[in-house]
Amino acid sequence: MRPRALTTFAAIVGTSVLTLAGCAGEPAAKAPAADVAATPEFSGTLSILTKFAGDPLSSYFEGIAAEYQRMHPGVKVELIQETDQSIKDKTKTLTASDALPDIYFTWTGNWAENFVRGGRAADLTKVIGPGTPWGGTFGQAALSAFAYDGKYYGIPLYNNGKFMGYNKAAFDRAGIGVPASFEELLAACAPLRKAGYEPVTFGNKDGWPALHYLQQLFAYHVPADVLNADFKPGTAKLDHPGYVTALGQFKTLVDECTDTRDGTNGVLYSSAQEKFLNGKAAMYYQEILEFANVTDERELTPENFGIFPLPVPQGAGGDPGAIEGAPEGYLINARSPRVALAVDFMKFATGRENARKLSAAPYAQPSTVVGAVTEEGSGKAVSEGVELVNKASYLAVWLDTVTVPEVADAWLAGGEALVSGSSTPEKVLESVRQASAAAK
Amino acid sequence: MRAIVRRTLGLAWVLPALVLVGVFVYLPLVQNFQFSTLEWDIYSGSQEYVGLDNYRRLLDDPVFWSSFGNNLLYAVVSIAFQVFGALVLAALIESVRSERWRRSLRAVYFIPSAISLTVAGLLFYFLYEPSLGPLNHLLRAVGLGELAQAWLGQESTAMSAIIAMSQWQGFGYSTLLFAVAIQRIPGEVYGAAAIDGVGPVGRFVHVTFPLVREMTGLMAIVTVSGSFQVFNEVMVMTAGGPNNSTQVLGTWLYRSGFVRNDFGYAAAIATVLFVITLGIALAQLWVTRSRRVEW
Repeated sequence: MRPRALTTFAAIVGTSVLTLAGCAGEPAAKAPAADVAATPEFSGTLSILTKFAGDPLSSYFEGIAAEYQRMHPGVKVELIQETDQSIKDKTKTLTASDALPDIYFTWTGNWAENFVRGGRAADLTKVIGPGTPWGGTFGQAALSAFAYDGKYYGIPLYNNGKFMGYNKAAFDRAGIGVPASFEELLAACAPLRKAGYEPVTFGNKDGWPALHYLQQLFAYHVPADVLNADFKPGTAKLDHPGYVTALGQFKTLVDECTDTRDGTNGVLYSSAQEKFLNGKAAMYYQEILEFANVTDERELTPENFGIFPLPVPQGAGGDPGAIEGAPEGYLINARSPRVALAVDFMKFATGRENARKLSAAPYAQPSTVVGAVTEEGSGKAVSEGVELVNKASYLAVWLDTVTVPEVADAWLAGGEALVSGSSTPEKVLESVRQASAAAK
Repeated sequence: MRAIVRRTLGLAWVLPALVLVGVFVYLPLVQNFQFSTLEWDIYSGSQEYVGLDNYRRLLDDPVFWSSFGNNLLYAVVSIAFQVFGALVLAALIESVRSERWRRSLRAVYFIPSAISLTVAGLLFYFLYEPSLGPLNHLLRAVGLGELAQAWLGQESTAMSAIIAMSQWQGFGYSTLLFAVAIQRIPGEVYGAAAIDGVGPVGRFVHVTFPLVREMTGLMAIVTVSGSFQVFNEVMVMTAGGPNNSTQVLGTWLYRSGFVRNDFGYAAAIATVLFVITLGIALAQLWVTRSRRVEW
């Protein structure tokens, strides 16, 4: 090697070593906690990351932003609107690059907890906690879903829950009623098929739809305290026999009640939804947020649309009053220089008038603000769903957000394996146990 | 003195490009390696130096190895179809006497390559759809209903279905490049072979194949390299499922970082991927130098 080349090589190696030596970094210095209850200064740009991209939802925040800017001409609201799928990557990229906006969307469970743990979510207890005027406008369960260690961080925007939607005309034609147990649900599939319908339409291409069935069945079979301990790798045992029973029942449902059976992983969630809306399938397990898709223009009309919670299996040892669901909401960036302004904007967004607007067509997102959801404004099914969620003895948060990502990912792969028949309930549970042990 | 000024000026001219390449190509490479030695919590921002632990974890990760296997399978099938298959097809097209037909056939085979991989992936997703997709309908219509299945929903067929789409999409491009290479072969060589009584197959084996070896080598390497960079089609069609059966290194990297929050581990996968593609790129340079055909 020539001397000059040697010097250059040494310089490059030296620089690399120095760079690597400096990589064991400390957490970014946290800014002093801003006063969330301070009087806001109505100037500057307020950035908001929403999950409302696409029609018809995107116009909701656009309208609110325009109205807020009209009220406060010194404020510019910058909206970053993403979809349910894209917001996951976007949020993580913005977090990693320390560029989170002033207000950002969150799910409950481990998803929100990560931001709280990382000091990226402002403690809003002073303004939204119990006993505060703003906090009093929300349902308590919705507020508590974003509480960690007794502190309130989230602004719940809308409620959500998972229900079996059914086509009343199909049920009438098959001569069956709403099933009272999981076993009755399975038994209803043969007459429905005979009547010319796919009993339950189901698309699991993205993996998470299977987790929705599983989480509801887990809540029925496994006591809530055991479930909650099992969500955290530090305390998880995942040895309750209810898990295997629930996994087995889910597989039976897929095999006996769907037309796609072990090929369900090749079907989009939205394709399954279309089949239900086109009147070709009798049942479809769906979120309250999806109820608005049933309109007079579709084969399945609102008059023929009914809902019921996934029926409880006989002899299940968990909580029969549990419903899978959770509110979704927003966090305020603890490092934002405009925390008070962000609080003011969200107070405006969750005001009674905007809450009613959100709950009614075309948005039909059932607001967490007490009294915002009415049968007249939001439709019978949404109103009924929200009432059932409010009455639930236990809200089982989505399995893919309630636990740590490694364990959620193991559930996701396991659910797909169960559907395709390449794994057994016991093996799926073992793989999740291993992922949980590795995540400790 | 003038030489020094000229050299300095020359350096000054290339400096902006060097800076850009350094900042946007080499710095991220160094940073990626740096990230791969960390356990990084993006939420708190804490970064813990873990040395080569993330690389050791790769050795015990079954999904990493199955992803690597899928990339290899992709490469093998692509070599068969997009290199040797495309070469045979190009030779057949170039043997057609009518210039108009030759042009038409080249265009017909090239059209799929003009479609973006994402669009092609979506197109094939609907083609493979188990209940509404035309593929299953076609199979049932011709009495092969027992073969109808959820092509992308079964672990046994999903990867093959993705690879098949990819071959359809890339086949025409390789064919066109081989057609160009075949056109460069002087007609006298074929004429001489014909006079010596060599048949069409013999002409392909003894004339065409040796004289396009530079292009064959290049295409083989480009194809293998492309097989290790697969991402779009898998993300669109299966996102790595079901049960991680269609993960390739690119998608497993993405899933490790953006779904499992394991960014250090994702960076380690990226480094391995870089080393593989760098090796292939160096081989490509060597092949293009050593296999050049002169006439």
